[in-house]
Amino acid sequence: MKNFSISSRNRVFLMVLVVTLCTVGLTGRLAYLMIFHSQYYIDLATALHERERSIKAPRGIIYDVNGEVLAGNRPVSTVSVIYNQVTDPETVIDTLSDMLDMDRNEVAEKVNKRSVREKIKSNVDKETADALRDLELDGVMVDEDYKRYYPYESLASKVIGFTGADNQGIVGLEVSYDEYLMGENGSINTLTDARGLELENLPERRVEPKSGYNLVTTIDMNIQSYAEQLAEKVLIEKNAKRVCILVMNPQNGEILALVDVPEYNLNDPYKLPEGTVAYTEEEKQDALNRMWRCFCINDTYEPGSTFKTVTATMAFEAGVLSVEDTFNCPGFKIVEDRKIRCSKVTGHGHQTFRQGIMNSCNPVFMEVGARVGVEGFYYYYDRLGLNDKTGIDLPGEAASIIHKKENVGPVELATMSFGQSFQITPLELARAVSAIVNGGTLVTPHFGKYITDENDNIVKVLEYPTVEGAVSEETSATMRDLLLSVVSEGTGKNAKVEGYAIGGKTATSEKLPRRNNKYISSFLGFAPADDPQVLALILIDEPEGVYYGGTIAAPVVGKLFSDILPYLGIEADYYPEETETN
Amino acid sequence: MSSNQTRKRKKTSFFIRGTYFDYTALFLILFLVCFGLLMVYSTSSYIGNRNYGDSAYFFKRQLIFAVLGIVCMLVVSRIRYQKLKNFSLIFMIAETLLLLLVLIIGSASNGSTRWIEIAGIRFQPSEIAKMALVIYMAHICTAKSKEMRNFLDTVKMFLFPAGMIVLIAIENLSTAIICFVIVVAIWFVATPNLKYLLIFGAVGVALAVAGIFLVGYRGDRIEAWLHPETSENGYQTMQSLYAIGSGGLFGRGLGQSIQKMGFIPEAHNDMVFSVICEELGIVGAVGVIIVFLMLLWRFKFISEGAPDRFGGLLVTGIIAHIAIQVIINISVVTNVMPNTGVTLPFVSYGGTSLVFLLIEMGLVLSVSRQIRPHRERDRNASVPEER
Repeated sequence: MKNFSISSRNRVFLMVLVVTLCTVGLTGRLAYLMIFHSQYYIDLATALHERERSIKAPRGIIYDVNGEVLAGNRPVSTVSVIYNQVTDPETVIDTLSDMLDMDRNEVAEKVNKRSVREKIKSNVDKETADALRDLELDGVMVDEDYKRYYPYESLASKVIGFTGADNQGIVGLEVSYDEYLMGENGSINTLTDARGLELENLPERRVEPKSGYNLVTTIDMNIQSYAEQLAEKVLIEKNAKRVCILVMNPQNGEILALVDVPEYNLNDPYKLPEGTVAYTEEEKQDALNRMWRCFCINDTYEPGSTFKTVTATMAFEAGVLSVEDTFNCPGFKIVEDRKIRCSKVTGHGHQTFRQGIMNSCNPVFMEVGARVGVEGFYYYYDRLGLNDKTGIDLPGEAASIIHKKENVGPVELATMSFGQSFQITPLELARAVSAIVNGGTLVTPHFGKYITDENDNIVKVLEYPTVEGAVSEETSATMRDLLLSVVSEGTGKNAKVEGYAIGGKTATSEKLPRRNNKYISSFLGFAPADDPQVLALILIDEPEGVYYGGTIAAPVVGKLFSDILPYLGIEADYYPEETETN
Repeated sequence: MSSNQTRKRKKTSFFIRGTYFDYTALFLILFLVCFGLLMVYSTSSYIGNRNYGDSAYFFKRQLIFAVLGIVCMLVVSRIRYQKLKNFSLIFMIAETLLLLLVLIIGSASNGSTRWIEIAGIRFQPSEIAKMALVIYMAHICTAKSKEMRNFLDTVKMFLFPAGMIVLIAIENLSTAIICFVIVVAIWFVATPNLKYLLIFGAVGVALAVAGIFLVGYRGDRIEAWLHPETSENGYQTMQSLYAIGSGGLFGRGLGQSIQKMGFIPEAHNDMVFSVICEELGIVGAVGVIIVFLMLLWRFKFISEGAPDRFGGLLVTGIIAHIAIQVIINISVVTNVMPNTGVTLPFVSYGGTSLVFLLIEMGLVLSVSRQIRPHRERDRNASVPEER
């Protein structure tokens, strides 16, 4: 019998020793994986195991200046089906297609799809959702959700805008303030097995949604709705293409109302107006874009005579004009080889500058423009912010269009002096005139006032840049006085309001191409004339019949002011006596 | 000689009671078997419930094999192991026939043909091959210790085992590697001439490497090993790493693994160690490794005390068998080496594997019964005999 030798025993010892060293090495590897890289693998594994169901964050509310809700949320529900939990597919299909008013085949396809969770329909109204929930069908899930809701429907539609299916702003303030309004979606994270089935009896990880911040705007729904009524009335009376009314505070640029009729229903923003013909998808999209755009901001026009306020301001600033300078108007003015007519063919005859602006006399302003000169015109044009966008907090602002300076001859300068042959947005005009009448500060027109949280605490006061000294105080005072005369005795007298000093300027711009008898009649007014608190601009696009701004646009502003001035707490300062003397 | 003769005659009974029994080894073995059952239940309950509607499906099957295996172990521990010498060649021939049979009629599993079914019992002949090789190698290295000094004789000695390993390697490279390690380990301990071992070892390693790179799917495994995060075959490895990494210090707690919920394919099989890591943390994982080490050191002690060369080599082969499987298994789940299907002894699910492992344990225990007191004197006495 052979013994197990010592050398053999030593080799067994060696062998087991090597094995032990190997396991020590493997323990090192385990420590590397399980201690030093543990978090890395835990994170990867968690990402693999968890399924995230998002909880929609309520979008912030948009308020008007008085706390009226302009855009809120309405509870709606999303109905979905969990394949594995459906016990009676036929009943489910029948009930869902019936109650949700959907095609049976479509529902059947979704119900029979082997997915973890199949969405059947979203934005189901609360009533239907509650009824469906009460049926307690196996595998049918009804989840609460929010839908954007606009209580005033079409009111201020072009300002507020609307959101898409994923709660994201598409146009208007909804887009500009999206980052504040959006909030952060929360989630319910549940653990699943490899096939994606949720594991029961395990804790869920819940991340609470963070509601969006609210936006308090400068819009005053009372003024907005009154302005809209007036605009609607003119739209119908004059069978116009559109009527815009902008009401803003010229001192700080806060916009109180911005009407652009016809408006559209924010709760149904994809419905084209009756009678719109759109065959292709592209045509339909174009029609929708036209319907959604806000003329005052997204389009440019030739301002016409309202621009004479700017020309006059330029001349005063340049020191080439005084109020008592005299001019002669034979009904036209010859500039180089061109004979440019005045609106009054017979001419205004001999007149001071004050009378010239009251009469809105073109030859006077051609003369004034010539005095300012091309260099001066472009310099003040730029100082009044007309080369720049206003910076309003709405998307898609249009840029002004003007001749290149080197291409401007006396004829171009003459037409530009009374507001033709260049294009600006109505808002740019309103801003320039605001600066002219407020003592010279170029403000940023805006809607956003504050950002507040759920409990209405102010999170952020929205601030906008202003440029002081765009116009001198002196010129501003002169202009206020002149524009007061335009309303009290001149072409703007239809805008008079009993007891109030109103300043303003009319305009009737012939649309391009000329000689088509298509006009934009407008009036720009402000009150009180000595310390303007409200500035209103009305544009009537393509009115039928009488189209003079002084005749059809000025009275609308008059009516608007007579209503909103007392409402805004601006007291009338001169009354009965004058009425009696009349 | 005459005293030897009388002693031999006395010992000719097939069963013995012995003078000693290694209860420490028995305890460690039973601990591992019970822990294995626990982990099989933990890792397979989800899949069992999902696929068979019975969360204890795999557990019950494993339990039956465990009981059967323990009975076998206790019976085998009473055998006078020296009697096995007479059967070693028969085992080898029978095993060779089974391996040939599996190539012809075996049923496929995971792309390789490894199973055979006789009289309703499904088993893997390659699992039995390990034990047959241990006994055969221990026997020839005892009986032909003189021939091991001669190169040609050595080659002749190893032709049969080498042929069998090649036969196994056709369908199951990982088992072939284990068998190879067993053969080398016994030879290493037995040979007076390590030079030949180096030649044989070099040839074997070269064959294994060639096998890895030449045979189809194993090339992908190398790619999956080097870049598990990006390789399309790295799924299993990454799942294993997720499980191990998320174990941390103390683990998710017994039964709390999420990776076993179908993420790790057949978590109760080769990948069971990764679930141990996930559920019990590094503390539990190292604990398991320590229990294996204790068992191996205990076996080393038994081999030292073995009354003869055959017993010592027998235990040596079994140490090599368990050690290599533990090392390869843990290396695979921690991605230290390419993925290959080696089970964790006693713990991984698998009937044939468990029963034959326990029979091997019975052999070790049977060797332990013949440990004689005064080993030191015997050891001294054995010196002149070999040198």
